[in-house]
This record gives sequence, C-alpha cells and structure tokens, in this order.
Amino acid sequence: MKKILSIATVLLFAISLGACSQAKGPAEAAIKAAEDALNAGKAEAMKYIPDQVKAAEDALKAAKDAFAKGDYAAATTAATNASAKVKDLAAAAAAKKAELTKAWDEQSKLLPDMIASIKSRVDVLSKSKKLPANLSKEQFEGAKKGLAEIDKTWGEASSAFKGGGMADALAKAKSVKQKAVEIMTTLGMKVPEAAKG
Amino acid sequence: MADEPVQGKGEDASDATQWHEVQKGETLSKIAERYYGDPGLYNTIFEANRDRLKDPNLIRIGQKLRIP
Repeated sequence: MKKILSIATVLLFAISLGACSQAKGPAEAAIKAAEDALNAGKAEAMKYIPDQVKAAEDALKAAKDAFAKGDYAAATTAATNASAKVKDLAAAAAAKKAELTKAWDEQSKLLPDMIASIKSRVDVLSKSKKLPANLSKEQFEGAKKGLAEIDKTWGEASSAFKGGGMADALAKAKSVKQKAVEIMTTLGMKVPEAAKG
Repeated sequence: MADEPVQGKGEDASDATQWHEVQKGETLSKIAERYYGDPGLYNTIFEANRDRLKDPNLIRIGQKLRIP
C-alpha cells in the first residue's frame, strides 16, 4: 500500500511538472513578444507620451516578476496586458505628435511677428526725444531688456523644436508669449487676438 | 475709437501689425506724439504707409495707418 502511494505521488509530481513546463514556453514567448514590440517603438514614444511608456514597462516588469516566481499563468496574463499597452503606444504617440506640431505651428506664426513688432516699436521709441504718456523711462528700459530676453528664448525654443524637444520648445514658446504680451501692453501696443488667453 | 490702437482690415488673429484709424482733427504729427511721444517722428509713420499716403499732410478720417 505504501509503495502504491509513493508511486502515485511521484506520478502526480511528474504530471504537474509537465503542465508547468508546458505553461512556461507560452509565457516566455508572450514576454519576449511584448518586450520586442516595446523596444521597437519606445524611443519615439518616449518623446511624446513618457507616462504611457512607463505604464507599458511596468506591465512588462510584472510579467517578468511572475515568470521569475514560476507563476507562468500570471506571467502570460501580464505579458498579454503589456502587449496591449505597447500596441496603443504608436497611435498615442502619433496623436500627441500631431497635437504638439499644431500647437508649435500656431506659435511659430504668432511669436516672430510679435517680436518683430516690439522691436520695431522699441527702435522708434529709442529715437524719440520724449516718451509717450503712460510710459516711463524705467518701463521702457524694462521693455528693452524683456525684448532681448524673448528674442533669445525664442531662438532656444526653435532650436529645441528642431532637435525634437517639442515639449521643451512649447514651454519656452509659452514663456515668450507671456512676456511679449506684457511688453506690448507696457508699450501701449495692441496684443494680437491669438496671444490673448 | 482713438483710445485704443485698431486692427487693420482683413488682419488675422496672429497678425501683430499695429494700426491706427485716423480720427477727425488728427495729423501725422499728433499720431506720432501719441504713440512715440515725439511729433517730430511723423515721418516714420509716413514712410511705413507710403503704399497708401502720397503726402504726409494729406490723411483722411477713417484711414488705417500702420504704426511701426
């Protein structure tokens, strides 16, 4: 009787071991597929949707952790989840890129024009024997200094955009716009509608 | 109307060009004084509007002038 029990135990162990190794292969393949897909589009996606890339990486890590613990079923489920997240990355990155490009195009149309108008006004006021009412010498000096700043920052924003740093470029453009509006208001100039709000 | 600088006809929302609509009794000198503090700079406005002004002494009410 004791011998029969021992044989049954060994048989059960062998069966479970077989089942286990059968689940290991698909889990391994699912993780590899998710990892390969993530690596293929990660660099581009990181520029536009870093949070979503991190979520996909976390899902992949969960799959690897489950695999390391020998929980192949959980590893397969987590890898499938990671693959789904990775699959969405390309479309989400493309959508974000289009959105940022549109925002940049709008700023590129607006800001150089504002800077040129301010320069033109500052040039004329620099020749004036007396400043207009509501513009003190200090305010005018501040406007001149501000103009030099926005000119420099706009150059940096343009370089950032050309280098692929769209978010950085737009952040710089936003600060240029705010400052340009401030200077135009100080100089008694009309602020373009597109720069308001 | 003369209290605020105006936008030119057909100007889009991104256009930062500065305009002034001529009011009754205004001259280029008065407009220059208003925007620059110096009536002597009237010629700057005249030169910026050579496409629409033939003579700095001849401006019409309602005319829109670029203010550099």
